[in-house]
Amino acid sequence: MQQNICKISKIGIPRAMSYYHNYPFYHGFFKELGIEIVLSDKTTSKLINEGTKHVVSETCLPIKVFVGHVINLLDKGITNIFIPSIQSIDYKINNCSKIRGLPEIIRNVIDRPFNMIEPTLDKTEKIGFYDFWNYTANAVGVTDKKLIKKAIDAGWEKYDNFLEMTKLGISYQTALENALNGVFENRHLQSVKPLSVVIMAHGYNLFDERISLNLIKKLEKMNVKVYTALNVSKENSIKSIHELGELMYWANEADLTGAAAYYLLNNKVDGIIAISAFGCGPDSLMVDEISYHAKKANMPMMNLTIDEHTGEAGFVTRLDAFIDMLVRKKRKETLIKTKINSISENEQKTEEKRLGFSNLH
Amino acid sequence: MSSLTDKKLNKDRYSQRGTSIAQKDRRLAWPRMGNISLSMEVIANTLGAKPVIPPANTNEALEIGVKNSIEGICLPYKLNLANYIMALEKGANTLIMFQAPGSCRFGNYTKMAQKTLQKMGYHFDMVVFDMYQSKIKQAIEALWHVTRCINPYRYYKAFSMGFSKAFAVDTAERLMFYTRPREINRGDAENCYKKWFKIIGDTNTIGGCRKLKKQIIEDFGKIPIDKNKIVPKVYLLGEFFVLLDPYTNQDIEKTLGELGIEVERQIFFSDWLEHVLKPSIFYRKESHRERCVRFAKDYMKRAIGGECIETVGDTVYAAKNGIDGIIHVMPFTCMPEIVAQNILPKVSKKEEIPVLELVLDEQTGKTGNITRIEAFADLVIRKKLRKENEIKK
Repeated sequence: MQQNICKISKIGIPRAMSYYHNYPFYHGFFKELGIEIVLSDKTTSKLINEGTKHVVSETCLPIKVFVGHVINLLDKGITNIFIPSIQSIDYKINNCSKIRGLPEIIRNVIDRPFNMIEPTLDKTEKIGFYDFWNYTANAVGVTDKKLIKKAIDAGWEKYDNFLEMTKLGISYQTALENALNGVFENRHLQSVKPLSVVIMAHGYNLFDERISLNLIKKLEKMNVKVYTALNVSKENSIKSIHELGELMYWANEADLTGAAAYYLLNNKVDGIIAISAFGCGPDSLMVDEISYHAKKANMPMMNLTIDEHTGEAGFVTRLDAFIDMLVRKKRKETLIKTKINSISENEQKTEEKRLGFSNLH
Repeated sequence: MSSLTDKKLNKDRYSQRGTSIAQKDRRLAWPRMGNISLSMEVIANTLGAKPVIPPANTNEALEIGVKNSIEGICLPYKLNLANYIMALEKGANTLIMFQAPGSCRFGNYTKMAQKTLQKMGYHFDMVVFDMYQSKIKQAIEALWHVTRCINPYRYYKAFSMGFSKAFAVDTAERLMFYTRPREINRGDAENCYKKWFKIIGDTNTIGGCRKLKKQIIEDFGKIPIDKNKIVPKVYLLGEFFVLLDPYTNQDIEKTLGELGIEVERQIFFSDWLEHVLKPSIFYRKESHRERCVRFAKDYMKRAIGGECIETVGDTVYAAKNGIDGIIHVMPFTCMPEIVAQNILPKVSKKEEIPVLELVLDEQTGKTGNITRIEAFADLVIRKKLRKENEIKK
């Protein structure tokens, strides 16, 4: 019955940008309205090349990837594509211009006829969350307020489940699959590993296996525990930013500065790895901010810059060297600790000797 | 997507007023942007503050800026930081900055500069004019904070002279752009401009400042020009700072003027000042930004920060008003202008107007750009001549 309400039966969502954090919500929302979701294929080199052809060379990698995904959807024959413009998530907390202007870029660089569903979220200009979804629902032909409300609730349910699961330490891929299937897995994962690092990166860089060159799996193979922004709750990460004496400026600052700040302040990790796309404006500031605080706290930090030409070999060498350094640092620290312990034990013994206690035995 | 931070904290977080320095020791400095120093100097002097003006942007300044800032930041920040450092070396201790948060990285400049300068061991106060809300009130509050001047007549005098000077120097610049390609004796226009620039700097009365504009128009009228010469007109668009700073844009107006092309810049400091500082009830005509939003409608549906929508809107406006070409300048990795750069090829094709893109940073060589500008000038001149011939036939 619901399918008769909607104008369109299929909607295309590019597997890039906001997909990585918000897909459970999109999935719940559109499923409730009875619309079939078609995702683009996973990122490949061919897809990136396709995207690179359409935009100017100064554009950053994530945008090139996004354009590639949109073209992929068009090749599949999808004519309705969901491209949100998330301008600001709170008063004067804005996104990067390129994310704000995603629909503008797509409209002008792709010269093919298709229908773009482009809702705007701009809390600075008082275009709120409900306006965002109302616009989307109207664009697909739903005007029933109750149904929209129901769909938003369904979206929240899946999204909350997803966040809850990732906070427990379940890996991104598993959590996403579970959330989409409506399963809630409540097992507390606490694997103990000798080393742990936090990765500060945008979700669209980190969880895209082609862009991040499978960084998380590589680290796990090296027996390193990996924390990401998804393991920290939003409140905690914002609190940590304030504790460092910084103010939130970018919409996705919680993903980068927030996560790194949380682990930096709690001293839970041995090192910080930052991944940023070449020429990324917000990243250049956020990484600098964290590196300033990391230096103060004597925390090792590495910044990896990626673009479409990043080779795997160079990437792995740097990662290996960094992890080696962390291992050596940790070994040295434990050695010093045990030495101090043994020294104090020796001192105790000599003290006992001086007092003549040892003769009593 | 929930409410993230305290609302009040959020609203006040950009206006910043340092108080660590005693009033009588205050020495003001601000970053150089175009001819802003002319107006700011007279305002500061009239209100009884002692200004320190950093030397003009040069290679040396850029080197200092590059050395002390991170790799990924944009060119204007590097130059601003260099201005601050040079001013602090000259004895300044109160740094002023205009700021409009939320547009692009520009909103974060003061925060970063402050941290960097403190790390370098300087002692100073930072005073920020938040231009996003209540503009004229913010400006007066900030000026009161640094000068503690309570005489309203002095404020009137300072703003009146500051405005008049900004308008006078921009009029001189506009006339120079018009005269330079048409002048019979090479160099007349530039000499005239230099002469008036000095006079504007030296004038110190309200009456004198008001008369400046008229005198400048008269004086430029005396330069002998070839009125029948066919001169194509080119719009210079792009990022605000790069457009206004002759060092950063490698004096592109002069290069073009000498090639026989009239340049028109849509962004002038005085226009911006008028738009930003005048309360909206006094501003009756359609502002530049509103016009741009209207013209950019087919290509952009929303403003995305920075000057992106101005660039696109002005390009469409130029095409509809018979302008012969567009030169789009931007600093490397400027986020809003990259979006504009992606949109312009389509505009250029649809509206049939040639567009030249120039991306500038500290590594940019002048020769390479001059070759490109010359080729573009050839194209524009030939196009113009063909058009004229068709009209004659």
